Amino acid sequence: MIEVQSIRKAFGRVQALDGVGFTARRGEVLGLLGPNGAGKSTCIAVCTGQVAPDSGSVNVGGRGSPRDPEVRRLLGVAPQQVALYDSLSARENLAFLGRLYGVADPRRRADELLETVGLLPRARDRVSTFSGGMQRRLNLAAALVHDPPVLLLDEPTAGVDPQSRGSILDTVGRLAAEGRAVIYTTHYMEEAQRICSRVVVMDHGRAIAEGTVQDLRAAHGGDLESAFLALTGREMRD
Amino acid sequence: MRAVLVLAAKDLRLLLRDRAAAFFTFAFPVAIALLFGYVFSGTTGEPLRVAVLVERDSASARELVRLMEADGAFAVVRAPSREAGEALVRGTDAIALVTVPADWESRVATVRTGGSAGLRVEFDPARRAEGGLLVGKMHELGFRAAFGEAAASWRPVAVDAGEMPMERGVPANSFAISFSQGVAWALFGAVLSFCAGIAEERQRGTLVRLLVSPMRPASILLGKAVACFIACMAAEWLVVAVGAAFFGVQVSSWAWLAAASAATAFGFSGLMMLLAGGFRTQGGAQGAGRAVLLVLAMVGGGTVPLVFMPGVLRTVSDVSPFKWAVLVAEGCTWRGWGAAEMWLPIAALVAIGSVGLVAGAALVRRTA
Repeated sequence: MIEVQSIRKAFGRVQALDGVGFTARRGEVLGLLGPNGAGKSTCIAVCTGQVAPDSGSVNVGGRGSPRDPEVRRLLGVAPQQVALYDSLSARENLAFLGRLYGVADPRRRADELLETVGLLPRARDRVSTFSGGMQRRLNLAAALVHDPPVLLLDEPTAGVDPQSRGSILDTVGRLAAEGRAVIYTTHYMEEAQRICSRVVVMDHGRAIAEGTVQDLRAAHGGDLESAFLALTGREMRD
Repeated sequence: MRAVLVLAAKDLRLLLRDRAAAFFTFAFPVAIALLFGYVFSGTTGEPLRVAVLVERDSASARELVRLMEADGAFAVVRAPSREAGEALVRGTDAIALVTVPADWESRVATVRTGGSAGLRVEFDPARRAEGGLLVGKMHELGFRAAFGEAAASWRPVAVDAGEMPMERGVPANSFAISFSQGVAWALFGAVLSFCAGIAEERQRGTLVRLLVSPMRPASILLGKAVACFIACMAAEWLVVAVGAAFFGVQVSSWAWLAAASAATAFGFSGLMMLLAGGFRTQGGAQGAGRAVLLVLAMVGGGTVPLVFMPGVLRTVSDVSPFKWAVLVAEGCTWRGWGAAEMWLPIAALVAIGSVGLVAGAALVRRTA
């Protein structure tokens, strides 16, 4: 559903991506793991068409590069930062995005999604009044407004309470089960262990390991976190 | 184009939701126009407050004060002592102190035989023009007090005074000038709001959400420019409409007003884009952006009207888009300009808008 082939991207002297490649298929959650500065965010930026790779390619749904605006219609993106308008209500935020994507009945679609993420009772409240967890759930709903077949979720549970995290993980699992391809970046290994069909471990701009959680655990022993530390080392990353 | 309008509608809604931004775009310019209107109106038709000190009571001194009190030009305040009279003037509670000296009565008695009677007028140096008026009036009233009411009809020089109907090219009142300044402040508010709005979108990550949508980056920026254009137009029309409805501002041509406000809104949308490209953060946009706009507005006639500026400063003001905005606002109101005069400021605004949109959009895209 989304195929990334040998992408390279440098910012000045920094080689942010150095030949990264992977494929996320329909119905699977592909975990993109790596320490800070590994290149995950740049990879997401290339996959969403915000940044053009120096070489290599990204193909979404067999339709081509996400640099093409029409191809971007296939993508739903939940950025790492909660990207919502504080002074608009939850419903207004989603309805605005619905109109932007040309959704037939934006308000109805907004209410469907608010129901999905458990925020329908707060539909008319401004986002500025929401807790961190509620904002994260709404951030995820915003990625789903146009019912995209491919989702790119960049640390969608950062800084939320266990209740909201559980809700978000359940929703992501359901979305994959409906046949979507999901790319999911996270620093929480237990999350990856719980929902990812496969994981790609990145470091220094390269994909240094790829496989199922079981494959990695078997290769490095212990749980996923032990495997991750064995692959990326224990030194601090700033 | 539909997506551009959707984006513009969202930005206008955000502007209206932000009470401070909406106030500074729509209400503050009208308040500024009123304030400057009253300031420039000078006396505002109210009588001059004058302190009067009578050093020795007498019949002719009482008659003089009565004549002053009966004259519509004065509001007389009795000063019990010289110190009290000086305090009234220094505290700006009176524009001048008129002293009727102790020998007034005896001096008046000599007038008919060739003598003279003296009055002393000391006025606030900041009110020199009104002081001159007061001296003239005191000559008249002193003469009447000395010679009696019978002499009041004696006019060796007859001055026939009346109000002149104002023609085009001359402001009908001070509000005609101040409401053109109000337009400058409306543009100031709108540009600053949208400039800060783009910086906020960048900082909050909502710009990323727009960039990953099917919209092209150029369309996103066009949506911002369209929203700014509409806000500038609305704010301009609101200021002019309030001026025309309640403060005697006369619109010489509604067609020129439409053309002028469209050119102005276009020019300032370009300026907004240029500033948005220059300032990455909301703090930068609201701090440095406000400073840049403030200087441009002051140089361009936002505070001191262009008509009151010295020649050199009027030339310097050519660099400010606000100057051209104020000129076209004046052009379609009290100046009563036609195509021959309007084309230059309109062309300047269109040029500023074009350069600003192209250069600003390139800067915004580079920093997105």
